[in-house]
Amino acid sequence: MGSIRLAFNNFKKSFRNYFSMILSLSFTIMILYNFVNLTYTETFKAFGEKNKNYIDIIIQVVSVVLICFMFFFIWYATNVFLTKRKKEIGIYVFMGLTNRKIGKIYAMETIMTGIAALVLGILCGVVSTQLFQLLLFTISDISIDISFRFTWEPVIITVVVYVVIYMIFVIKGYVNIVRSSVLEMISAIRQNEYVKTNNWILFGKAVLGITILLNGYYLAVKESGFNVMANLLSATVFVIVGTYLVFGGFLPILFQKLADNKRFLYSSERNLWINNVIFRMKKNYRTYAMTCVLLTCSVTALAAAFAQKDRYDNMVHFRNTYTFQLVSNMPDLGARVTDLIEQDNDIVYSSEGDFFVMDGSHFDDGFTYGILSFSGVKKMAEAAGLDFPYDELKDDEVICANHIYLLSFITDRSDVTITIDGKKYRQIDETTVPYMGYMQEGQTYYIVSDKTYDELLAGYNQWVSDNASIAGDKQEMQHDERIYIYNYRIQDIYNYAASMDELDTIMENTDGNYVGRVAINPNSDDIMWIKVEYSLCVFMFLVFVVASGSILFMKLYNDSFEEKERYGVLTKIGVAKKTLGKAIAKELRVAYGVPFLLMMVSSYFAVHSLEKMMSTNLKLINLLSVGIIFVFFLAFYKLSVILAVKNSAALS
Amino acid sequence: MGEKKIVEIKDLQKDYGQKGFRTNVLKGIDLTIYSNDFIAIMGPSGSGKTTLLNILSTIDKPTQGRVLLDGKDVNSISDQELSELRRDKIGFVFQDYNLLDTMTLQDNIALPLSLNGISGKKCVEKSKELGKTFGLTEHLAKYPYQLSGGQKQRGAVCRALITEPEILFADEPTGALDSKSGRELLECFKGVNERNQAAILMVTHDAFSASYAKNVYILSDGAIKYKLNRTGRRKEFYDYIMEIQATLGESFEDEDGGDF
Repeated sequence: MGSIRLAFNNFKKSFRNYFSMILSLSFTIMILYNFVNLTYTETFKAFGEKNKNYIDIIIQVVSVVLICFMFFFIWYATNVFLTKRKKEIGIYVFMGLTNRKIGKIYAMETIMTGIAALVLGILCGVVSTQLFQLLLFTISDISIDISFRFTWEPVIITVVVYVVIYMIFVIKGYVNIVRSSVLEMISAIRQNEYVKTNNWILFGKAVLGITILLNGYYLAVKESGFNVMANLLSATVFVIVGTYLVFGGFLPILFQKLADNKRFLYSSERNLWINNVIFRMKKNYRTYAMTCVLLTCSVTALAAAFAQKDRYDNMVHFRNTYTFQLVSNMPDLGARVTDLIEQDNDIVYSSEGDFFVMDGSHFDDGFTYGILSFSGVKKMAEAAGLDFPYDELKDDEVICANHIYLLSFITDRSDVTITIDGKKYRQIDETTVPYMGYMQEGQTYYIVSDKTYDELLAGYNQWVSDNASIAGDKQEMQHDERIYIYNYRIQDIYNYAASMDELDTIMENTDGNYVGRVAINPNSDDIMWIKVEYSLCVFMFLVFVVASGSILFMKLYNDSFEEKERYGVLTKIGVAKKTLGKAIAKELRVAYGVPFLLMMVSSYFAVHSLEKMMSTNLKLINLLSVGIIFVFFLAFYKLSVILAVKNSAALS
Repeated sequence: MGEKKIVEIKDLQKDYGQKGFRTNVLKGIDLTIYSNDFIAIMGPSGSGKTTLLNILSTIDKPTQGRVLLDGKDVNSISDQELSELRRDKIGFVFQDYNLLDTMTLQDNIALPLSLNGISGKKCVEKSKELGKTFGLTEHLAKYPYQLSGGQKQRGAVCRALITEPEILFADEPTGALDSKSGRELLECFKGVNERNQAAILMVTHDAFSASYAKNVYILSDGAIKYKLNRTGRRKEFYDYIMEIQATLGESFEDEDGGDF
């Protein structure tokens, strides 16, 4: 029998053993295909050029992340597979086969497994594209016709990426087998393995791990100005390294200490499962740590997605505070504009106010700011029903009214001092309440006390006239730079266009005065890409949760094969199945529970730092995502227990 | 003998295979084991030794006949009861030790007791005590891979005895041991029996091991051919067994019986 036939027969016979690997691999292929396919669909074209470009960039970033993930996942899966197969096909050594031949058989089998996964993955991928897009747009809350058009490019890209990565690890496995000694191949690997590592090494790792982890947490939530980005990067590295050390040092030492306390150990089923946890921990701690990190990332990704969504909604809300805004140097336009709008629309609320704009030469940072008076803003806020939680400002205090950032890197905003014309003011708050509606999107405003407002205005007008006379070319310029603003919000914001022609009349015939107009189109979709990004993030979250769950599941499923013999012994010496089942369940509970618990803690800090960067509340999302992971893990755990118990019973 | 009956089998038969191709492995065996017995069952390969042991120890079920363990018919009790019976009344020693490599020797010894819901304190005490009796005190904290075959097998005996069973079943317990370790183990068995800790039923193909027992039953072709009782010294008993073996005209296995 040629080695290809042998490999094929092996593959057929132990298809069930490979099943978990094929399933997990094809899952990653399916996901990658779907993401790659998104760039080739016509669907996003409907959003316009700008959105399409943004979305393409996002999809490419996500695809790169997915490819990296695929790389590690395949590395991991083939490694588990290799250890398992090495023992089984090692028997061929006795049939006089050389390592090279055995390596070839292994490579053949692995390639067959890989092809099976590839075919399954691509098929599932092609079939699921429509469903995937449907889900994507449902989450994004975007109503659009999904075009289903099959193209070869995404298939080819996915196949090439997968085949390249997969072949790297097939070759790696082949080389590994060729280089291994006969003894290594046939002896069960767990024999002669030192179960306990030197306590001092473990202790050192544990202390170091906890210190690094706590340091990471501290950096993540530390209030800081422009250092936030550097802090967050270090925090991420610290948390990852700390997690590995905690799993590699702290947990082993904890369980070993538990096992050393014999009185504690010899009750319930602890003698069995705690010893097993210790035994497994040495080999499995990387898996636990990886799962934990992956889960924390996914929770953070989801929280980021929701924060963006929140931001998007706020931005839309921000813009739609007023449907029409008119600015003019004329103070008494209000009644006229109201009449014009009411010809076609009902006004829900309206307000008027005034402000003036000071250019960068008056401020330390060189930016241009609008200046508003406290009472003026209060009046506008009351008219529009906006939150205005401030007491009368002191003369040296200001409030900064800003637009909403998509992402900001400064988390510490207290105690900011600003300088206007050499005089210092204390900024008591920064707000993103849209007091000035759309006008607040391109311009930042300082709200000052009424007295300061008058002083600043007078000073500014003086300055303008001085400079104008020096320059000599602005003789016609109005000395009073006060701008009057008229805000209107109409009942049916989608009917805004009806009032446009009436409003246009006021902009003509201004007799040397000026009137500017802003009209908000609620259908405007120039920030639609945020919605798509949001739903992609939600998907990534689910992908990572399923992936990390299946990594753990795969590992534990393979472990349960190794346990078979041990369970056989236990059954023979009269250990009841029920007791055995309980011990299995408890051991698996640790395997799933410990990464989950540490993830809960880590994600709290990660989300907390995100909360501050995005200045929004994400506690609920954090809780929700942890809840979702819990449900997934519970399902994986239950399945693991059922299979392990079934495995243990198979022998007896 | 006047002692308590522990196991009683009557007209035990065991068939393997399907209809038309049945092999009659055990052909009507009667056997009674009392609480102070030390019985060795010998026989050539295929004589049904292991089948008999499996049925006696409730791992396998007979085709016909009754097995009474501690007065209860194992065929008519529930799985739950059977499991409890196995747990409380029977101890096992296997040829390949079957210690769990995930835990220390002490943990292995204490395992059956600790899984029975006995207090941790009691488990610690008993495992230490047994370890001491069998000369394993300084090895208790070691893992099986750090121990020699003899130490492992003595550990396995401790594990079998910790639940204070009424009978110890041993399947070729010296099979994997060198002669010195084998002798030590057999001395342990003798001690157990003499201290009235438990009755012992040992399956072996080796006349030397068998000579430690009080009674040797020689199984051939599914039936007990000879019942030998030890009367004098062990050496004489060994010679006697060898003689009988010779009359049977077949060597039980091609390994030698150990050195003297």
